[in-house]
Parts: sequence; C-alpha cells; structure tokens
Amino acid sequence: MPDWISLLIRAIIAFTAMFVFAKLIGKRQLSQITFFEYIVGIAIGDMAAIITDDVRTPLYMGLVPMAAYTFLAIGLSWLALKSKRSRDFFEGKARVLIQDGKILEDNLKKERMSTDELLENLRSRNIFQVSDVEFAIMESSGTVNVLPKSDSQPLTPKLMGMQVAPKPEPQTVIMDGTIMDEGLSTIGFNRLWLKGELEKQGVALENVFLGQVDATGQLYLDLYDDKIKVPQPQALPLTYATLKKAQADLELYALATQDVRAKQAYEKEAGEVDRMIRELEPYLRRG
Amino acid sequence: MTIAQQVKTTLASLKSAQANLETFALSTQNKQAKQMYTQAAQTTQSVVDQLQQRVGQMEQQEPTYKGF
Repeated sequence: MPDWISLLIRAIIAFTAMFVFAKLIGKRQLSQITFFEYIVGIAIGDMAAIITDDVRTPLYMGLVPMAAYTFLAIGLSWLALKSKRSRDFFEGKARVLIQDGKILEDNLKKERMSTDELLENLRSRNIFQVSDVEFAIMESSGTVNVLPKSDSQPLTPKLMGMQVAPKPEPQTVIMDGTIMDEGLSTIGFNRLWLKGELEKQGVALENVFLGQVDATGQLYLDLYDDKIKVPQPQALPLTYATLKKAQADLELYALATQDVRAKQAYEKEAGEVDRMIRELEPYLRRG
Repeated sequence: MTIAQQVKTTLASLKSAQANLETFALSTQNKQAKQMYTQAAQTTQSVVDQLQQRVGQMEQQEPTYKGF
C-alpha cells in the first residue's frame, strides 16, 4: 500500500474518532468551557493530528489515549455534577471582584488581574465608570459578569410601572417561498389561513422570502422584491384607535344631549369603554 | 350630520371594534390575552346593545331620522 493511501485512511479514521469523542464530551465544551475542559479538547485534537502523521505506530495505539482523555473528561464532569465540593475543586470557583461598589483588591491579586484588565472587562460590558458597578464576579470560565447599580440599569417596563402583554416567540411560517407546516401548527393555524392572509396583503407565496406570525396572529412578510412595500399589520392599533374614538364620541354625546337619562346612559357607557381601553392598552398598543 | 347619524356612526365603529376583538381572542394562543380580548368583546357588546336602544328611542322621537 503506498504511503499516501495509508495516510489518507489514517486521517479519515482519526477525523471520525475525533468527531465521535467531541460528540461524547458534549456541546457544553464550546459554550461554557472551563479552563481544564479547554485543555482536554486541545489535547484530544493534538493526539488526532499525531496519530494521523505517525505511520510507524499502529492506529489503535493512538485511539486508546484519545478515548482515555474523553472518558476521563466525562467522568470528571459527572463527578462535578454529583457533589458541590468536587465541582469547586475541578471546575474552580467564581471569584467576586467588586462588591457593594468597592473593588476587592485581594481577589484581583489572587486572579492575577491588573486594574487595566478589570477596566477593560467592565468596558466590554458597556460600563466606563467603576462607580456604576454594584457587583462584579469572575466566573470559573474567566469571563467577568457585572451587575450595574440599580440606577444605571436599563429602563424596563417593570421599572416604569407599565403593564405589558406577554409575548411568546414568533413562528416562522414561510421560508424561501415554501410554507413551513411545523411553525404553522405550533402557533395554531393552517395553510388555508396563511393563504387567506397572503391574499389579504396581495402577495404571491413565491415572492415571499420570509414570513413570521406573532402570538396575536399578525403576519409579517419580507419579499424577494424589495421595491414592493408590504403594509405592516395594523389590526391591533387600528382597533385601539377605533375604541378611543368611540369613547370620545360617547363623551361628546353626553355633553350634547339635553335628555337627563340619555346623558347618564352616555356617561356610563363612556366610563365602561374607558376602563376597557385602559385594560386593553398593553395588549393593543404594546402587544 | 345629525346627532342620530353620528350616534349610528359610533355604533358602527364599536361593532367593528367588537368584531376585531373577537378575532383577536380566537387567533391568540396566550390564555391571558384570550381572556382579556373575550372580556373586552363582551363589554363592547353590552355598550353596543345600550347604544342600539338609544338609537331606537331617537328614531321613535324623531321618525325622520329613521333609516340613516
């Protein structure tokens, strides 16, 4: 067998083995990698490269240490899952860097982190002034997470005392001009409904690049032809405006009429509609 | 536009809003929103009914308004 063929076979086997081992270790490896897991990953990759290249030793001799590394890594993460103490030992503990707005210099020293690095980490979190920080912690993976002081946190509806309607995730129902049945059925509609909606907006299915339906059943479209303007769904704000107008009308009639009983009736109705509008506002305007 | 006509216009827009609310109630999957819309549709319906009565009264008082 010529050398290049045996090299090719080795490469394919090593590649496959690496893929299988990487799958076994799991996808956690990439996202919340600890320093140790990072090294294990590199070591396994390195071994795969070596056994491909080294034609003198048989292939299985290289696969054994790869498997050993993989199962050791899995074993360690299993141990870490089971007890808090082994978790602290193997995966390391998070260390608080700033508490109550004060930098903990001793902990900085323990992590061998300079003031510049700390500031850089804060800046990457969009904080340029240390006095805006309530709490900062270095995770075992080395990333610094920051809790800004409550007056420096982004404004949320909750802080404003504003009521907002719950809004579940939208579903993609059209991709590249084809209907996605899975998304449609998840949100509780069918093809017939979708075709009706498309007809309402005057758009052919083939011309739709992307279509999404939100929880209130409004269809948002993006077309291949960017020159065509698709009307944004207006049903919710339109209903809100109609109700508002009706409420104002009722108040007007209450003022205009001479009949005492009718006046009272109009006023009562105006009040009812007003109360309803207030309750509906989060759904119709901020939905 | 006479008052009776105006009231009838309001009545019509309330009816349309009521129908919209029922559509929303049917099309949303969220329970809380569904309940909200259903309740609002009912309230609107009761206001529509009361207004309808008032229109009836007006038509009785001024038969010339009838049909507008």
